[in-house]
Amino acid sequence: MAAADQRTPGARWAPFLFLLPFLFFLLLFWVIPLFGGVKMSLHANGLGQAEYVGLEHYQALAKDGRYFTALRNSFVYTLASIVVIVPLALWLAHLLRATFRRLRPVITFALLLPALTPPSVLAVLFLMVFHGKNGLLNQLFVMPLGLGPVSWLKDPDFILSGLVLQTVWRWTGFMTFFILAGMEGIPRVYYEAARLATGSRWQHFWHVTLPQLRPVLLFVAVYLVVDGFSLFSGAYVLLGGSGGTADAGLLTITYVFQKTRFFEYGTASAISISLLPLMLLLLWGCLFLRRRTA
Amino acid sequence: MSDCGKNRRGILSLLLLAPFLLVVLVPFLWMVLGMFKTNREFFQPLAKAFFPASYDWQNVTELLEGRWVPFWAVFGNSLLVSVGQAFGAVALSAAAGYAFARFSFSGKWLLFVMALALILVPRQLFALPLFSWVNELGLSDSLLGVMLPGVVTGLGVIYFTQVFRQVPGEYLQAARICGATELRVFLIVLPLVWPALLGYGMIHFILAWHEHLIPMLVLTSETKQTLPLALAKLYDVSQRTPQGVQMAASTFAVIPTAVLFALCHRKFKSSLSDMLVH
Repeated sequence: MAAADQRTPGARWAPFLFLLPFLFFLLLFWVIPLFGGVKMSLHANGLGQAEYVGLEHYQALAKDGRYFTALRNSFVYTLASIVVIVPLALWLAHLLRATFRRLRPVITFALLLPALTPPSVLAVLFLMVFHGKNGLLNQLFVMPLGLGPVSWLKDPDFILSGLVLQTVWRWTGFMTFFILAGMEGIPRVYYEAARLATGSRWQHFWHVTLPQLRPVLLFVAVYLVVDGFSLFSGAYVLLGGSGGTADAGLLTITYVFQKTRFFEYGTASAISISLLPLMLLLLWGCLFLRRRTA
Repeated sequence: MSDCGKNRRGILSLLLLAPFLLVVLVPFLWMVLGMFKTNREFFQPLAKAFFPASYDWQNVTELLEGRWVPFWAVFGNSLLVSVGQAFGAVALSAAAGYAFARFSFSGKWLLFVMALALILVPRQLFALPLFSWVNELGLSDSLLGVMLPGVVTGLGVIYFTQVFRQVPGEYLQAARICGATELRVFLIVLPLVWPALLGYGMIHFILAWHEHLIPMLVLTSETKQTLPLALAKLYDVSQRTPQGVQMAASTFAVIPTAVLFALCHRKFKSSLSDMLVH
């Protein structure tokens, strides 16, 4: 940690002065709603003054098959998006480094456009891509391969892949941007040293670039996990707030939304709260990795 | 490497990038061209009618005149909420990040972990209790009720902590020796990190511009809606909005974030590069 400049007498209260506005809003719009959520999850469903029911909602969730479907889908969806996006973004960043310097910003910008687009617009673009027989995906890729058109949003075998494709399309450029920034920050000396020691480009990538990129990759992974569990707009517009055929595209956030729509506030909060341990585990993992990096 | 080898690598990389560019850009092109299409053209197979028969601006004027949604009011709301939220988030996180990076105090580790937890626990999952709390604060159906909850950001705090760690300590000492108060020292340091301020402001503006769930819960009256809500209404099948109008609205929704990013992404990237190696 950087040296703390704690010299002047004023420095004793100064940090709290700087933290105060942040802490105030943290309390107001994060801590209080969080406790509100816990309270809501312990009370009966419905509006207004509901009676206290203890852990009933959680017990009901433990027996709820749809809850576990939603959890599993969210896991698969998040994991799949990370597994596809990270290598793809690394590859694209590498290509961008090799391309002409003048063109680099233009191409980066073009690749980033999906990340700049509001999710609701993206969902509409994707309706076109996935749209029955006339959709872009079927017209340009599936049918030329001699396969029958896939009904991406109706066939339960394909809904989740469709959602993953959407995230990949949306975030790959954005992550490429961060990885590129990370790559450009690696001091040249490292590569020169590596060139003296060993030959192949692959080894340079594996032993110099990748370890140096660890903070960026950690950021990318965390961002995708959080987005995977909180993504609302995309799945909402694509599947209209439903889980799709046979709940094949039911994500946790969609499930929370469905419960909310039928005023099952207690259950909705219980679902949200039940994800907390998972997020805390992730937090612990991050701190662990951070310490190892430092 | 020789010039010739460099050129060959450049051309090869362009060839490899081309399919990705195509996959990204074709849907956008389709969206922009869709503005000019009639409903009949719009639903024809793409191979037959990718380009419109004629470039007619009627859909755009209909949208801007507010025939389907009060477009300018909605656009203004979105702009107001996003700019306000970005300013708030930058101010709060820069101050907090400065405290984390430059002072040692008791409870620092705990607070820092809390800021990290903020990133990891998606706000959307707590939209419901947040919504009822916002109502209790008397902010229901007001733009402030959408703007204020968004100014707390863990990502911003972590980012600015990293940023302020890199400011040489001599600057701060020099300012203190000259008798500057702590607040004054902070204000002196701020201009040194302006690319980071701009970069984070931009990212947060984009996030706020995209926010859908919280405005949907908080805002009820038609003139107070933000753009994602108006878009959802336009897309709704029961509204029978012409497809061309939908595409025009979609295009206008992308323009502000795209322009903003085009203007300041270089500064942001170089500040990121500096930060990520440390």
